[in-house]
Amino acid sequence: MICCQTRRGAAVAAFLTGCALSSAAMAQDWPAGPVHVFVGFPAGSSPDTIARIVAEPLAEALGQPVVVENRPGAGGVIAVQQMLARGDDSFGININGPLTTAQRLIPDLGYDPVADIAPVGLIATSPLVLAVGADFPADDLAGFIEAAAEPEAISYGSVGEGSGAHLTAELFANAAGVQLFHIPFQSYAEVTTSILGGEIDSGFMAPSAALPQVEAGTMKMLGVTSAEPFAQVPDVPVIAGTAGLPENFRAELWNAFIAPAGTDPAVIERLNAELNTILADEEVRERLLAMGWQAQPGTPDDLAQRIRDDTALWGGVIDTVQAAE
Amino acid sequence: MRRDLYDLGWGAALAVTGFTVAGYAWASYDMGSLRRMGPGFFPVTLGLLLAGLGALIAIPAMSRPGRFRPFAWPETITVVTALLVFGLALDRLGILLTTALTVLIASSVAPRGGLGWRLVLSAAVTALVWVVFLRGLNMSLPVWPGAPR
Amino acid sequence: MTTVDGLAHGLAVALQPSVLIYSLLGAVLGTLVGVLPGIGAMAAITLLLPITYYISSEAALVMLAAVYYGAQYGGAVASILLRLPGTPQSAVTTLDGYPMAQQGRAGVALFTAMISSFAGSMLGIVILVLLAGWLSGLATSFGAADYAAMMVMGLVAASTIGEGRLAKSLAMVVLGVILGCVGTDVNSGAQRFTFGQVQLIDGINLVALAMGLFGLAEIIGNIRKAERDGPPARVSLRELVPTRDDLRRMVAPITRGTALGGFFGALPGTGSTISSFLSYALERRVARQPERFGKGAIEGVAGPEAANNSASITAFVPTLTLGIPGDPIMALMLGALVIHGIQPGPMMLEANPDMFWGLVVSFGIGNLFLLVLNLPLIGIWVSMLRIPFRWLYPAIIIFVCLGVYSVRGSTFDIVMVAAIGAIGYALTQAAFSPALLLLGFVLGPLIETNLRRALLVSRGDPMIFLERPIACGFVIATFALLIYGFVKRSDQGSQASSVAD
Repeated sequence: MICCQTRRGAAVAAFLTGCALSSAAMAQDWPAGPVHVFVGFPAGSSPDTIARIVAEPLAEALGQPVVVENRPGAGGVIAVQQMLARGDDSFGININGPLTTAQRLIPDLGYDPVADIAPVGLIATSPLVLAVGADFPADDLAGFIEAAAEPEAISYGSVGEGSGAHLTAELFANAAGVQLFHIPFQSYAEVTTSILGGEIDSGFMAPSAALPQVEAGTMKMLGVTSAEPFAQVPDVPVIAGTAGLPENFRAELWNAFIAPAGTDPAVIERLNAELNTILADEEVRERLLAMGWQAQPGTPDDLAQRIRDDTALWGGVIDTVQAAE
Repeated sequence: MRRDLYDLGWGAALAVTGFTVAGYAWASYDMGSLRRMGPGFFPVTLGLLLAGLGALIAIPAMSRPGRFRPFAWPETITVVTALLVFGLALDRLGILLTTALTVLIASSVAPRGGLGWRLVLSAAVTALVWVVFLRGLNMSLPVWPGAPR
Repeated sequence: MTTVDGLAHGLAVALQPSVLIYSLLGAVLGTLVGVLPGIGAMAAITLLLPITYYISSEAALVMLAAVYYGAQYGGAVASILLRLPGTPQSAVTTLDGYPMAQQGRAGVALFTAMISSFAGSMLGIVILVLLAGWLSGLATSFGAADYAAMMVMGLVAASTIGEGRLAKSLAMVVLGVILGCVGTDVNSGAQRFTFGQVQLIDGINLVALAMGLFGLAEIIGNIRKAERDGPPARVSLRELVPTRDDLRRMVAPITRGTALGGFFGALPGTGSTISSFLSYALERRVARQPERFGKGAIEGVAGPEAANNSASITAFVPTLTLGIPGDPIMALMLGALVIHGIQPGPMMLEANPDMFWGLVVSFGIGNLFLLVLNLPLIGIWVSMLRIPFRWLYPAIIIFVCLGVYSVRGSTFDIVMVAAIGAIGYALTQAAFSPALLLLGFVLGPLIETNLRRALLVSRGDPMIFLERPIACGFVIATFALLIYGFVKRSDQGSQASSVAD
């Protein structure tokens, strides 16, 4: 790493400063230059928009520019790698995949989601909705499960093998004791087209992808995967506890602010505090909700717990899927 | 030339590539069934297809005269080297030094190019990059060695 | 609201001064950025996205749309002058546009591209207005089997554009499809041919492939040749303008190209790529002297340029009327709408008629700006060719590197360009068609995923390709093309070999 050697002077200076001042005082002076936030998806995607919604007030609070670096690729994994490679003052805003399921799905991940990442805080969560075409025979979850009684009678589209949409559908199928037929797509747009065209029966989709179709009367939403009704689609019943499904059924996608492991704890604390202030802002909450995301302020430990829980949850689903193949 | 060496060589190379692809895919990926095709099905089929086409290119070339076309070896090597240097140096030296270095290498095969001219050119291109990409497009690039982007 | 009311209403929206200014800004910026090799609409739109948060939704979308068209035209400029395509569509434009420039007809080629783009866009708008309802149904009536069959037909039809032996053309297509297999397999999630490189999980970078195969290959071959030939002779203003004969030759290709583009553009996905290749293949097939193609035939520039512009107009149909974006750029624009609280979808025409009709009219105005802006620029672009090549090519190499880097900030992709460039030069030397490799690369993965998806949908029954009327139609067309191709080839082949000997 030549870049580290050439930065030795700066590093030595920083070290000396660090010795002289207390860690907390340093976090007050931090940051000395622009802060970089690596986002795993292209400009205009929802993680990118979330990052920009957060970056703007964050830059104001820190008094330094916050540069959003789009490093799309491998479902967000490339951005995590680049954040780790770049080192100082690099952070990431990323989705759950690279932190919870990537180590199971990508053989040469190049990092350990627990050992190499320091959680800063959760930003927002989004549930998925179970959507079917308007002419689907059932109107509720119980009817859907009944229609799916025969193995593989009902097909569903996902946004790829191992995607949140795929794993959520399998989690649901396990919980409901049915066998659904998986057909992978590349985007919710393709899944929507295919449901409208009558090629597939259903799909677990982002609420904002299904909502316009539901308003136009071409699709129906049968259930939502969050623990409580979701503000963007308040009328859709939660899956948990409905039609004989377990009370603790919950599957959510999320976006989180992360840092490389070894980042000064005072810096993480500062960032977490700023993040929570931003997420408490009513305008920010509304902008997120319009895109289908619920702001979720919390501590770094909350995020760490979330990563642990979801790694276990999705790991279990991946085990079942792989065993079935 | 008594034989069309280009088509002969390329046909053979494509055939070998095809077999390699098919073999590698066969060994590494699941073929699946017609209903749920595995990841190996397409590459294996394509590899064999390419091998067949390679043979179709190579065999007629054995008995057909070919035309000699000079291959620009020095230019190929220089341009490839210039790009490799750019790719490997960008993160380490920053965009400005990398550009200057790459232009110096690339211009080494330019006809009638003295060292003085090459230095002028590399300064000019570096200035252009600074104006267009750093000032104009505000692209996120490492500017100096080790400097934060 | 009737169509006429809608258009009148749209005109009122589009003629607001702020909307006009942003449209002009978008057209200028799009062209300038598009001329830079590899930096296309995506990069330009990304650059402008932050501004769109602060301006009205109409102005934002109009500006982004203008950037989109501007970049497309800018890309054609780079393709014609320097053989530097950043997209498969502009790769088609290089096939005859670049030879025209080599023959000192760069001005005419640029003029042709400009006029054809403009005509294609304008006629595309007419198609959009008249047939929006029908076109929006098209997207949902195409299933996986139909897409797979259509793209196979596209590949077969286009494989006639390579010169020389059919086996060599087909080999390039197959090689392209194989390169398209690199990366994550959509259906199984397996990583193919990535050899542990995370950089390859999303496949080979399209811009790196296009730049390497065309631009770099051309630089390598041209360094010595250009010096020998010297810069092209100075041309007078009159020579920049097409002759009456040129104009006459352009009319039919533009009409056919627009129709192809208008149809395929409404299908989410690769409408614009497939229609420009098909348009090229069609022009070559109907031409009285097909051997002129690849050597500077004006029809080979006019048809595809009209096709891809008309396709990029009708590509808004699924985006706006179904909320289904066909490509990453459309997805970006959709994002821009959502930020402004407008939900594109089946309800958009009713809920936001201002937006819909305003956009339609702005497309026209944006293209008019582009035309007015770019016609005077043609002379300047052409004079760029008078810079000696030895001054030009090191700068081009740097621009290619930065263009490829801008896609996803990866130096790995620059190393890839180096390798692809060397291979591309060797392939060109041996008279293989890099355009076909690129087409295979783009369509291959779509064929594979749709074929496999179709068989999943039918639960393994291959009859789905014959039972669905659309798919069946394409299958029949494909066989007809193949038979016709072989008959014609053997016919020409016997003639050609007797001439060659």
